[in-house]
Amino acid sequence: STSTKMSANGVAAHCCETPGCNAEAKLQCPTCIKLNIQGSFFCSQNCFKGYWESHKLRHKKPSISDSSTPYNPWPYYAFSGSLRPYPQTTKKEVPPSIGRPDYADDPNGFPHSEQKVRGAANIKCLSDEEKEGMRVACKLAREVLDEGVKVADIGVATDEIDRVVHEAAIERECYPSPLNYHGFPKSCCTSVNEVICHGIPDMRPLQNGDICNIDVTVYHRNFHGDLNETLFIGEVSSIAKNLVKTTWECLQKSIEIVKPGVKYREVGSLIQKHAHSQGFSVVRSYCGHGIHQLFHTAPSVPHYAKNKAVGVMKPGHTFTIEPMISEGTWKDEQWPDNWTAVTADGKLSAQFEETLLVTDTGVEVLTQRRDRNGQPYFMD
Amino acid sequence: MGDEDDIPMLVGEDDEDETIPELVKVEDKPRVPLTILTGYLGAGKTTLLNYILKEQHNKKIAVILNEFGEGSSMEKSLSIGHEGDLFEEWLELRNGCLCCSVKDKGVKAIENLMRKRGKFDYILLETTGLADPGPIASIFWMDRQLGSDLYLDGIITVLDAKYAEKNLNEKKPEGVVNEAVKQVALADLLIINKTDLVDETQLKAVTDLVSTINGSAHMVYTQRCRIDLNKLLDLHAYDKFDNDLFERSLSTRFFDGASHLDQRVQTVTVEVEGSMSPSSMDYFIDVLLWDRSLTNSAGEPVNIYRMKGIVSMIAESQRFMLQVVQQLYELEPIGYWEIDSPRTCKFVLIGENLEQEKIDDLLRTCVTLSSEFS
Repeated sequence: STSTKMSANGVAAHCCETPGCNAEAKLQCPTCIKLNIQGSFFCSQNCFKGYWESHKLRHKKPSISDSSTPYNPWPYYAFSGSLRPYPQTTKKEVPPSIGRPDYADDPNGFPHSEQKVRGAANIKCLSDEEKEGMRVACKLAREVLDEGVKVADIGVATDEIDRVVHEAAIERECYPSPLNYHGFPKSCCTSVNEVICHGIPDMRPLQNGDICNIDVTVYHRNFHGDLNETLFIGEVSSIAKNLVKTTWECLQKSIEIVKPGVKYREVGSLIQKHAHSQGFSVVRSYCGHGIHQLFHTAPSVPHYAKNKAVGVMKPGHTFTIEPMISEGTWKDEQWPDNWTAVTADGKLSAQFEETLLVTDTGVEVLTQRRDRNGQPYFMD
Repeated sequence: MGDEDDIPMLVGEDDEDETIPELVKVEDKPRVPLTILTGYLGAGKTTLLNYILKEQHNKKIAVILNEFGEGSSMEKSLSIGHEGDLFEEWLELRNGCLCCSVKDKGVKAIENLMRKRGKFDYILLETTGLADPGPIASIFWMDRQLGSDLYLDGIITVLDAKYAEKNLNEKKPEGVVNEAVKQVALADLLIINKTDLVDETQLKAVTDLVSTINGSAHMVYTQRCRIDLNKLLDLHAYDKFDNDLFERSLSTRFFDGASHLDQRVQTVTVEVEGSMSPSSMDYFIDVLLWDRSLTNSAGEPVNIYRMKGIVSMIAESQRFMLQVVQQLYELEPIGYWEIDSPRTCKFVLIGENLEQEKIDDLLRTCVTLSSEFS
């Protein structure tokens, strides 16, 4: 924030926000605190009063840019950004001939098999046969994401991307892992602009200038493969370009250090260092995870520095790294749908993810893109 | 909304004081301490809670019963005591993305409630009688970076003086944890209650047994859980190192009566001159907590429940505090070494199959004496 600088003893001091006043500010607007608006520092009550007519505008939420939607499921909810939910289509089915994870048929989508090993921090080392199973599932996951990316464009609803992903998974004898996981209603996650992750595909058409992340996980013959990429829709702003590029670089840099003996908690240090060097922040509430026969399991891989992640990488471990990097604050909020995670200040957030296997000497990127030299779609 | 246009009074972190306050980042809001209260059914947890709520009427205290079970329940009740009144609130346990979420849904529910209803002064989480407090502590001992409104203050275990020995000595099948032992091992404060129901010999026996398991907890004797409340709250067990407690546990050794006990769980303290390097610390942690490759003389693996220490790191003028619970650890700077004081590394460990000499040997392979690197 431009109103913060370091004082002589290294502690951050704030500047009064009233234009022209540069006095040190130790007071903060309580309405802004309540609305989770960052900043709003003032030197005195008087100064604040003088600026009030302009300042109070910060408390009003940005109006809906596309006002043609009458859909308003949460009339009293204060959105942090301009994105709004659109209606969703009905839940899709998967042919019973395709092998399904245990939660697929649970009324609440509860993953009992994951719950059984919850808390146990010992990380599985996969056998050669299991590694092959993972290779296949991850290759198919990449193919399914490819299909989804092909249709993402201006005017295309995220629901359509989901439909394509759903069909592509079925075609490859895969169950789309997100479907009914803890009750999730769709087959992939589509996260637009300020949505950090877990966006639910709906009827909103993608707009020129959007960034959109498509997160695909498939379950094939008892193994899950998980990956995601953020795409540019039409012409995006330069800050969006920089954010997406930096996020991708964060993932690449962290993959580079993966090898036996490296502590899982080191991943976060590396990611945070690179994100901060570009002036961006690291989302802390969501982390990478172990993945194999279970969708989410040990280890937990936070993306921020100074974390207490347990464990050291060993050959045969399979897990994801999936940094979420934000333009403004690292803080997140959740929509009342209990899924959609958004930035607390409504600014952009981008993400990239791959499923990795630790080898004897390094890493195998199981969900690696095989064509175009493995470059991310936004560079195509 | 009509009141949106009323100019609010600004809030400052130190409105009334005339003296210049310590510079604090404006985003740093005081965090709320959460204490885990455990102990067998009937030991006196409920009596203690009622006593706290009744006595501390100028503080706003939240009490959560029976922690957060698994499964998909959507709500959990919570009682709040304030100014002599007790009223009920509801925690919304939002399901949904539990998968890759770093914060437990119980934590989020408490934070959301505080956001809506204002902060509590204290939160007391009472576990079920047979709970293992280890996993619960892990949930609430969050990374500082998460900026949570809560922090884990400590674990209080209530014991029934009359039945504690029996419960602690109960033989469990191989591989099954004796919860009573775990509850004692992880306690930062042990309340030995119902002392009026036992004689002096029995009380001494219980004390000895409990001290062998956990030589580094504060211990208080009560009747009907009447206790000085200052002893209960603000334990700071996970963010401070109590040197007095450490010195006391150093001098606590085996008691005569304790030799008949088949106690796999004990307290061991070690202190060695020298400093550790980041890689030797990594190794120490890996061996003890993650790889669990250290064994006792019988070849049984060491299993650490809790560990605390003060460590000297090579080329660092700051002292470092190590805090461990189960497999989680944190190494944080805490003050400075005095210029001429000798550099040492000292730890108190509580867990299974610990042997003094083995830990000592391990530590010695990890430290470098000052003379070797200056």
